[in-house]
Amino acid sequence: MTTSTVGPAAASAPAARQASGPAQAWRRLRHQPVTLAAVITIAIIIVIAAAAPLIAPYDAGETDFTSVLAGPSADHLLGTDDFGHDILSQLIYAARTALIVGVGSVLVAMLIGVPMGLILGYKGGWYDRLGSRVMDIADAMPGIMIGFVVIAILGRGTLILIFAIGLIFSMNFARMVRAITLTERKKLYVESAHVTGLRNRQIVFGQVLPNLVGPLAVQGAVFLGNAIKVEAALSFLGLGLPDDQPSWGGMLRTAAEHQVDHPWMALPPGIAIVITVLALNLLGDGINDALSGARTSRKQRKRALHQAPTLAEVEEAKRAVSSVVTTPVAVAPALAQALVTTDKHPDPVLAVRDIHIVADRPDGEVVPLVSSLDLTVGRGEVMGLLGESGSGKSMLAKSILGLLPAGVRVESGSVELAGEELVGRTERQWREIRGKKLGVVFQNPQANLSPVHTVGRQLIDPLRIHHGMSKAVARDQAADLLDMVGVKDAAKRLDDYPHQFSGGMAQRVAIAIALAGDPDVLILDEATSALDVTTQSQVLDLVLDLREKLGMAVINITHDLGVAAEACDRVAIMYHGQLLEVNDVFSLFDEPHHPYTKALLASHPTADHKVDRLPTIADFVTADGEWIAR
Amino acid sequence: MDREVIIPMTAHRPLLDVRDLEVAYETKGGLFRKSMTTVVKGVSFHIAPGETYGLVGESGSGKSTTGRAILRLADIAGGSIDFDGTDIAGMGSRTPLSYRRDVQAVYQDPGASLNPRHHVGRAVTDALKRHGIGDRASRRKKALESFEQVGLTAAHLDRFPSEMSGGQLQRVAIARALVLEPRLVICDEAVSALDLSTQSQIINLLMDLQKDSGVSYLFITHDLGVVRHISQRVGVLKLGELVEEGVTEELFDNPQHEYTQALLTASPSSTPEGRDERRELRQKRRVSVPSLRQAS
Repeated sequence: MTTSTVGPAAASAPAARQASGPAQAWRRLRHQPVTLAAVITIAIIIVIAAAAPLIAPYDAGETDFTSVLAGPSADHLLGTDDFGHDILSQLIYAARTALIVGVGSVLVAMLIGVPMGLILGYKGGWYDRLGSRVMDIADAMPGIMIGFVVIAILGRGTLILIFAIGLIFSMNFARMVRAITLTERKKLYVESAHVTGLRNRQIVFGQVLPNLVGPLAVQGAVFLGNAIKVEAALSFLGLGLPDDQPSWGGMLRTAAEHQVDHPWMALPPGIAIVITVLALNLLGDGINDALSGARTSRKQRKRALHQAPTLAEVEEAKRAVSSVVTTPVAVAPALAQALVTTDKHPDPVLAVRDIHIVADRPDGEVVPLVSSLDLTVGRGEVMGLLGESGSGKSMLAKSILGLLPAGVRVESGSVELAGEELVGRTERQWREIRGKKLGVVFQNPQANLSPVHTVGRQLIDPLRIHHGMSKAVARDQAADLLDMVGVKDAAKRLDDYPHQFSGGMAQRVAIAIALAGDPDVLILDEATSALDVTTQSQVLDLVLDLREKLGMAVINITHDLGVAAEACDRVAIMYHGQLLEVNDVFSLFDEPHHPYTKALLASHPTADHKVDRLPTIADFVTADGEWIAR
Repeated sequence: MDREVIIPMTAHRPLLDVRDLEVAYETKGGLFRKSMTTVVKGVSFHIAPGETYGLVGESGSGKSTTGRAILRLADIAGGSIDFDGTDIAGMGSRTPLSYRRDVQAVYQDPGASLNPRHHVGRAVTDALKRHGIGDRASRRKKALESFEQVGLTAAHLDRFPSEMSGGQLQRVAIARALVLEPRLVICDEAVSALDLSTQSQIINLLMDLQKDSGVSYLFITHDLGVVRHISQRVGVLKLGELVEEGVTEELFDNPQHEYTQALLTASPSSTPEGRDERRELRQKRRVSVPSLRQAS
């Protein structure tokens, strides 16, 4: 059969194969010293508990009536209790109890809670309403009281204690699993499973459950700590384990009886509980961070801005670049340079000169994202920056705006805006540029605007800051701006919130805000990509009208050939971090020079005419992976 | 509708015949009241075996909901959907397994439509297993064949979705949809999220597979260029109503409904030639058709 292949690279594995989810999480986990310490602590406790008979100097039940309630000595390193039990041995055997009860009760809690949460979250409707009420009622009862009741009915014993504690925590698991299942069941992969015909049971346990493993591991670690605390509390109250079974809670109870004359007795079990529970909680946090890939502390985040990026950030930046790997055609720099036909504008307002943008990997490798790029944008000109994902067009825009993500930096080169150098500015110096001389509108209209402030406030603030207007003058000016971008009843709508605007209208508001500083250059980063075609054409027409009226330059970053054709004066083609071709829009579409530009134009299905078969990039590349110049 | 009914390309009855389809969603009206919002209002069209029918419209037009109704994922409030002579709107809550085999879907976001925790090959083998096809080894073999059919290799079977590019993931989604040898595939914005160079490859792939297997496509998209290229007939949806339907070439060359005309003038052209005239035309249209002035 005649399948269209992806070009020479289809068969070979991607150059940088991404590590799978769990492997990546484990790598991140290893980079967290606190978590590592927690893991080691827990491992030590497990070894002690498992090897208790070998390590403990005395047997658990062994009594030495010659030394009762003695302080630490060579025979009894931590002393003895009122029955002459060696406290160190008791502590070691109690670790065993704590772990068995803790792990057992978490397993019981999961066995009850996970299926319950899955069913409630997935089935919804009456199941969910009824089940949620049961969870509410269970939550309203103090956990320890549930423990009392179960033990009162069933009596004391290890298994009963495990069941009682498991019951206390089962509702927490159910609640969490239900919440995650509610979001998961709306995802497309669940819908796809439905379309395939999978049974509900298969979808819930085969498809949804694997996606709960991460959160369950986090909660499991945290609840393990909590279960050990509850076990200690119940044993302390004399309700937990039988008295002859060593437990940290039971040791505390003995210590409490002799608190006045032998205060040291409370210390060993107390410290053991604190260390164990703390280690488990830290492990839970660590797993959470590793799975989400997020750094939580502010200090760390601040540091990340100046230091090496996290692994995840570099992976992401690299993936963005290497996603074009399906068609990895080397761009001969000489060829690229030769094809830049009109990169100079006689009256430039923005000039990018020989810019190199790189990402630093933690292992010291420097990954180039944009290489030796020159571009000028003239006053009042609409420059289209056209490229596919991974072409580096957004990185270029972010470097112009000083908004490069952590770990990505301008290695060399210069960006000059109306005679001012932008590269190397401090955050404070950037404030004189962004929002004032540079306006920007991003793809998602609602994300451009703050949801908790009225659009009036979001317009008035920059006017007051940048132009020092009084509140009343700024409000009039804001209304004028809204009116100019085509919002009806502008003065009234100043008091509306962003969610009261439709997508197209919200994007108009975002443009008005970007224009508030009276910028020299307005940057549109895929600003119309999320809009419907009729709305898109309105917004593009608006930008052209505003350009004619205000004379600012516009950089329109897009992946859409049609947007470039309809609304740009000149177009720059980017591919793999390089500028391949810059030309007047009419010349570029009539006579593309670079094979890649030709390929792009040819592979674009359009509403104006129809071809039998769409050419693909592969048609413009030789078997050896070189561009066919024709 | 201004256009006369199109005679199917073959003498057979249509594979899918949608008549007066209505889909309504329950929206919270108040504490006790439930109010229904109708998102698909009396839509009728049919698809012949081996045909591609394009359904175009903007957001809120009900095009995806129509697809979901055909997939039995949205409750049908009225009308009928005949698939190969059986009314699937009248079926109970259970969907026959044979229908789940005959009608498949390919979605816009291939990453989201594959389970992030499973190797992508499992998407295909799970589908085969559910439909009782082959044993473990032969299912794997069949999965590999389907991967090769869409331009992937054995090495791709054991990857996680996070390890593959968007184009590769969409190939997996297509392999999953086609391995069951369906008769109809609902392609819901199936190429909209892809880069241009990947998009053309996937479009060619879909067309090649259709040529080989005779599958029908319902191609749901907002992209007029893609629809023109891939479909034989097109329906234009606006706010839940089918405003115009016809053979692709005729509809694009001579649109009758003013909404279709507005869509076509608003749709970015593949060339800058004549753009000033188009801009003027849009300006005039916005003044003359108030409902389009602020379409959103």
